Amino acid sequence: MVIRGQRLIMEAESSMQTIMEKMQSHQLRVGFKFEGFQYQLGEFRLRVGKVVPFGSESLRGIVMEMEYLPISSVEISQLIMSELFDIWKAALEKRSLPGHFVRVEPKFSEYGLSDQYTSQHTAVQYADSLAHMVPVDSSSKTMRN
Amino acid sequence: MECVVQGIIETQHVEALEILLQGLCGVHKQSLRIHELCLKSVPNLGLVASEIRLLCDLEQPEPTWTVRHVGGPMRGAGAEQISVLVRPMLESKVNKNALRLFNGLGYKLDHEQLRVGFAFHFQRGAQITVTVSSINKMLKLHATDEAVPVTPGIQLVEVTAPASSENYTEVVASVSSFCEYLAPLLHLSKPGVSTGVVPTAAAAAASLMSDGGGTK
Repeated sequence: MVIRGQRLIMEAESSMQTIMEKMQSHQLRVGFKFEGFQYQLGEFRLRVGKVVPFGSESLRGIVMEMEYLPISSVEISQLIMSELFDIWKAALEKRSLPGHFVRVEPKFSEYGLSDQYTSQHTAVQYADSLAHMVPVDSSSKTMRN
Repeated sequence: MECVVQGIIETQHVEALEILLQGLCGVHKQSLRIHELCLKSVPNLGLVASEIRLLCDLEQPEPTWTVRHVGGPMRGAGAEQISVLVRPMLESKVNKNALRLFNGLGYKLDHEQLRVGFAFHFQRGAQITVTVSSINKMLKLHATDEAVPVTPGIQLVEVTAPASSENYTEVVASVSSFCEYLAPLLHLSKPGVSTGVVPTAAAAAASLMSDGGGTK
């Protein structure tokens, strides 16, 4: 669970989602499904998927998750990850496809996360990615009843 | 979902209860030291007020956290007939950020307590847990090292068992059956139904202590 506005993150079991529903203090306003494929590119692992709102077939966007497997340090892996991202962007520009990739670079330290990459770092990045997917009119509404 | 009964016992008889439980359960007891924080939603958060409990197991080398949501008891004529309380219950292991996150969601600390004692976990028709603990209050916020008993000389005994909508009648029967073995020492009933200590407790405890063991 991530609260971006307060830079809070908590790791929990899947039952946490049911607990939140039972508490009835917060209502689900928008939910997305990330569905796609995983690729191995040398020492990189890429996951590319389409983002579709629950109960809808409309495509909200594409998410690509890039992971450099040999190194778990966020800071040390930044340079090589940036190089692959630049290569990816150049390849896309040559194909003149619609849309453009926006790199998500949250400040992990603000969430109290260390330089060693964990599933919590992934959660923060997905939360930031979701923020780009939510329509402006939904994101401006309060999340409380 | 879970099935629950509770009772109280005088601290002087806890050792006898432990002997009885050891004999009945056939497993070793586990020490219990749980810091329990009860959080309640702030006004106007959600359609109804809600409550959540954070449990910090201080007995582990590294404290572990659990979130627990307990629903209202099962109601109706059938529920009135049974001596065990059946209620929805959900738990999730969480990391240490739980309190800060729930504060961020609009939940504030209502009260906290420290439960110190022991527990037996065993299978007897159902997966049953018996906890025997003193309930302690903290004189300063989160100061678990400075906790004092809420009711000195009295400890709380809880018998719980997980259940589902499909099997709760069997679980209720298993819990009720087990509780009969504890009847000489304490009376177990639905939470909120006060029964006090049983008059036979002293004699039963003396018998157990002199025997040096329980009966199966």
